[in-house]
Amino acid sequence: MYLVQHLYEQHGKYLGLDLLAGKSGLTRRINKAEVHRPGLSLAGYLKGFATGRILVIGKQEIEFLKEELDEKTRTERLQSILTHTTPAVIVARGIRPPKELTALCEKNRIPLFRASSTATNLCSRITFLLLEEFCPSVTLHGTLVEVFGVGVLIQGESSVGKSEAALGLIERGHRLISDDVVRVKKKEGAYLVGSGPELTRHLMEIRGIGIINVAHLYGAVCVRPDKGIDIVVKLEEWDDQHFYDRVGLDEKFIDILGESVPYHVLPVKPGRDVVLLLETIALNHRLKDMGYNSAKEFNAKLLEAIARRQKKRMTRENRA
Amino acid sequence: MKIVRKVKVKNSLGLHTRPAAAIVKLLQPRKSSVFFTYKNETINARSIMSILMLAAKKNASIIVTVEGEDAEATLHHLENAFEQEFGEK
Repeated sequence: MYLVQHLYEQHGKYLGLDLLAGKSGLTRRINKAEVHRPGLSLAGYLKGFATGRILVIGKQEIEFLKEELDEKTRTERLQSILTHTTPAVIVARGIRPPKELTALCEKNRIPLFRASSTATNLCSRITFLLLEEFCPSVTLHGTLVEVFGVGVLIQGESSVGKSEAALGLIERGHRLISDDVVRVKKKEGAYLVGSGPELTRHLMEIRGIGIINVAHLYGAVCVRPDKGIDIVVKLEEWDDQHFYDRVGLDEKFIDILGESVPYHVLPVKPGRDVVLLLETIALNHRLKDMGYNSAKEFNAKLLEAIARRQKKRMTRENRA
Repeated sequence: MKIVRKVKVKNSLGLHTRPAAAIVKLLQPRKSSVFFTYKNETINARSIMSILMLAAKKNASIIVTVEGEDAEATLHHLENAFEQEFGEK
């Protein structure tokens, strides 16, 4: 649940908001990541007017209200756009709102703000902030690291060695985003970004050592606050019965918040250097991203060679 | 078997590092999967960092989901630990 109060407290300074009236309405909910400039509606055309959006009133609207309407119509028109679901009203350019608006906001308990920037600027900034706030998110169990610029989410059962693998990667100059708990947000409806919870950011728990602060131990270069998730690697105990991918021609994907992310299962056993394997997976992913797929490229070459041999043999047979 | 139950944090300091360690230790020999849900956040109770992230205060009520063959016994032990305030009483 996102309230006007949250927007005011978290981003009030950035937006330059100044609360003028309707303080008791700060607990109103914001349900839509949309802002609205009520131009037409103020002119009396209310068909299709969408309620529940933050109203941004610009210079033109104010001029229209002040110059074109008498006091009674002004109150009526303003009342018609201030519904019980309107989260807040913001007047742009630091203009003093007409007294009718202040009175109505106070009466209906709708927060009324004044902001210094222009209406267009406010609309885009608020929309961006709200979209960020409303994007779908999920908390996953796993460790997120950046390896050669690739966001790798390491998953697997407890005690399979996720944190140890991450520590090994950090030691080799890669970066930790979050250990154990990863908050994933789907941004702009298309890409996934993972970050760590504020409280346990850059902390790791290593069995036999305890809780360590990676940022303090290895320095600021080995951590970053968030990173897009490019691949998911699941570490699991080596199982002799299971057939692991030996060629890499078929790519597997896993679904996170409706996005499919390349997925690898990496079996762990003594003698397999997990850190090196994770680095290789990340590098191979980069190569694929650049359009080169080692397995496919090799297969194409092989098919070519076979076709050549077949051709040679056929010409020999034809001659004979 | 799957059991979902509400458990209340009773010790005055809330779920800090020691109780979290106690929970993880208690769960180690158990086979069931255990999840805590608090303030819309669901986490794996076998991970210390996850429990710490919740920062659950005294009197917070946590929804515990236990699933597995020894679910009942696991939940029983868990509830006991919460009840005993993790030995901080």
